[in-house]
Amino acid sequence: MKRRSRRALIYLALVAAQVFALFPFWWMITTSLKHQVEIFGGLEFLPQAPTLDNFAALFDRYNFGPFLANSLLVVAFSVAGSLLLGTPAAYALTKLPTESWLQRQALIVVLLVRMLPAILLVIPFYLVLANYGLLNTRLGLILVYTGLNTGFVIWLMQSFLAEIPRDIEEAALVDGDSRLSALRRIVLPLAAPGLAATAIFSVINIYNDFLIALTMTSTPDAQTIPVGVSTLIGKIQIQWGPMAAAGVVGALPIIVFALIVQRHFVRGLTLGAVK
Amino acid sequence: MVTAGAARPRPRRRRAAFIAGPHVLLVPAAIALAAVSVYPLAYGIVASLRQYRYGLDMGFAGADNYLNVLQDATFLTALGTTAKYVVLCVLIETLLGLGLALLVNRQLVGTGLWRIGIILPMTVAPVVVGVMWRLIYASDIGIADPVLGLLGVHGVHVLGGESSAFLGVVLLDVWEWTPLMFLILLAGLQTIPQEPLEAAVMDGASALRVFFDHVLPMLRPVLFVAIVLRTIDALGTFDQVYVLTRGGPGVSTQLFSIYAYNTAFLFTQEGRAMAMVVLLLAAVLVLAGIAIRLVRLGPGTR
Repeated sequence: MKRRSRRALIYLALVAAQVFALFPFWWMITTSLKHQVEIFGGLEFLPQAPTLDNFAALFDRYNFGPFLANSLLVVAFSVAGSLLLGTPAAYALTKLPTESWLQRQALIVVLLVRMLPAILLVIPFYLVLANYGLLNTRLGLILVYTGLNTGFVIWLMQSFLAEIPRDIEEAALVDGDSRLSALRRIVLPLAAPGLAATAIFSVINIYNDFLIALTMTSTPDAQTIPVGVSTLIGKIQIQWGPMAAAGVVGALPIIVFALIVQRHFVRGLTLGAVK
Repeated sequence: MVTAGAARPRPRRRRAAFIAGPHVLLVPAAIALAAVSVYPLAYGIVASLRQYRYGLDMGFAGADNYLNVLQDATFLTALGTTAKYVVLCVLIETLLGLGLALLVNRQLVGTGLWRIGIILPMTVAPVVVGVMWRLIYASDIGIADPVLGLLGVHGVHVLGGESSAFLGVVLLDVWEWTPLMFLILLAGLQTIPQEPLEAAVMDGASALRVFFDHVLPMLRPVLFVAIVLRTIDALGTFDQVYVLTRGGPGVSTQLFSIYAYNTAFLFTQEGRAMAMVVLLLAAVLVLAGIAIRLVRLGPGTR
């Protein structure tokens, strides 16, 4: 009997945690589907007359078309660029003698870059990009994100690559494959799931970034979705409906991606320190 | 480059490729990383020794910016607020995360679903998190004030008062980042061998004793990694607070990063802002040094 009531308490605590975790999502989504009048009409947990007007307003009045296009373009090029730069480097690190000086130093540097808070970097970035006339351009954002994300790719990919048994690759080498073809035929197929997870984490990191995009851009020519969301808040009278809708647009694609890689979450967030 | 089609084995060339190969692959990535870390930081440190007005470089300033910053009461207040914020958030998140991980680390109906629900908050952009909580705290359409009313606290607007706004921002951080603590600690708990624990239970040890004598010591390395990572990230908190309060009311939620941002981009005193940032960098390097010692490095060492 005591055992059963303890189990009931555990489930009760878990349900409470779920409600706490999920309620803000519910509140934002339902607000985004309400008319202005209903939003101010008191607390309703379900929209009485659901509408998509708020979402239409984002694209008609608040430039979300360009914001979305900028985000997609910047994310696509930065993720591709950092995977191209980072994956070979990660492979090279796993091929260096284990615990060698170079391997150790390389990983420390990469880890340091990842740990630098964005506020440390945005002021110099701003000054540097201003020098080259790259402020408020998508190219400027792509260059910054590509560089920063390369460190993340190296860390995560070397943790995935290190799991591929050396024997398999060495067997291919003994069979007469060159290192390059062994990489192409053996290592990359085995690393594909890790590569996919790394790519998705990179998409999440870059799509979600706010501070860098906020400081480097100033008009819808280059502003991304998170910056677009924040432009809705600066106004004197906040339009709650469109703001909630903007939040939904900002969150939805990422939640889908995040659920795909949730198996690798711990590794992605701790850079392989914990699996 | 030796290709797959090479019919005759050419051992010397292959050895050369083997030795040169890995290092060469590191070069492009190293250049990219230096371009976004060493170069801007060096640039920033130089900038911290110069005077900027309205975004224009007005010449060498020596240590003026640093002296100025260290005597700036608003800056010192922001440091204090940040310290209070980081300690409070990390403490609550660690305790809650550990508690949740202990709850979930057992046979449950629908284990995976509990996990997904709990981790959802940390997947969305911090800006969106700010929007969500703005909708909750809003004094005209929000739900926080009525809920507080139900609990007997009347006439409070969460974002209107100084201490309530600070607590409101902390609650948001707890909501967003407890999942990270939960996930890391759950992963740690799952690597702990069960036999010693079962043996202790057989010997009649209470659940609390088992936890403190057996689970906690084995969890300690993972716990340290989690706390250091979260502390470094919390030190740089910007997005959610910018969206929620912009540092107000007054300076009650003005964290370090908000003040540095305002100094650089609102007051256009880039040099002075860089001086603040360099001081923070020193703090982060110390913490990162600790983290790197704790994080086991490299392949083959796991």
